[in-house]
Amino acid sequence: MKISISKIFVIIVVSVLIGLVYNDFNPDGLKLVREERVLNWANDSLSSFPNIKPPVSDSSITLNTFKVDSSKTETKKDDASLLEKPIAIKIDFAYKLYKQGIKFIDARPVEEFAEGHIKGAINIPFYGSENYENVLSKISKDQIVVTYCSGEDCELSILLGDELFNKGYRKVYVFFGGWNDWLLKGYPTSK
Amino acid sequence: MKFLSNKYFLFILRIVIAYIFIYAGAEKIANPDNFALSISNYRLLPTASLNFFAIIIPWIEIVSGLLLLFGILTKENSAIILFLLMIFTIAIIISLFRGLSIDCGCFGKGTQIGLFKLGENLLMIIGSFVLTIFGSDYFVLRNKD
Repeated sequence: MKISISKIFVIIVVSVLIGLVYNDFNPDGLKLVREERVLNWANDSLSSFPNIKPPVSDSSITLNTFKVDSSKTETKKDDASLLEKPIAIKIDFAYKLYKQGIKFIDARPVEEFAEGHIKGAINIPFYGSENYENVLSKISKDQIVVTYCSGEDCELSILLGDELFNKGYRKVYVFFGGWNDWLLKGYPTSK
Repeated sequence: MKFLSNKYFLFILRIVIAYIFIYAGAEKIANPDNFALSISNYRLLPTASLNFFAIIIPWIEIVSGLLLLFGILTKENSAIILFLLMIFTIAIIISLFRGLSIDCGCFGKGTQIGLFKLGENLLMIIGSFVLTIFGSDYFVLRNKD
């Protein structure tokens, strides 16, 4: 019995069709063409925390899958510090938040967290267990949280930021640069 | 190497690989968005195409897994699975070389890529290769003609 390429082709085509039809009927289905994840970018010069309103600028950085676009501004709601989406921040802004005692959440794996982390940060590894509910229950949803991971190339902080946001946290900041920038600046760390 | 063509050995191999693929496919179909994110972590495909692959790959897995389970077109379905496994494994190898510490996306959320995962995949590649070559005629659904 020889392998029939045409039968392989038929099986694949049928599977693809079933997949597309199923996805169309599935309420949790995906859009056929994925839109780029656009992160709103806060400007470093912001000082009037918590009345944050990022100024408009036209620079934008495109990462591999996450597009960081600074041209979008936040719309103010009744509470000025409520965000519509997690906002990306850089080291200076992150440090300002840190000095105000804001909770930092480390999205890296447990081992990397153990090797060193921002002083006072808690660890919620994005690819770890999903049993971090008890850690989260200690953080109120009105609280400001900052997620970070190893550097600008890692997306764990963005993924965790989005996940927290979907869980009802409305003041989520994603610290771009993360651990690497923090180390370079020599800001407080602990093991 | 005679045991490779033993019908009971081939039968067990067929059931195991079919089960793994049905399970993996079902797990991804249940959480399409998670799977799309997993693919995006590999940073190999353009963002716009991620959802399309996240929609179709699990169904190819589950359909060929089911057909393999019932022994329908065993060689063809093993070849499809072999092809998928090779793509997954190449993706994992590339990511390991790039030093990415990412979720495998193999069976939903939870397992990171690493040498263990690679070994697992290599075993499955060997298994599906053997099935592609020898097929499996024991305990199959067949047309009566």
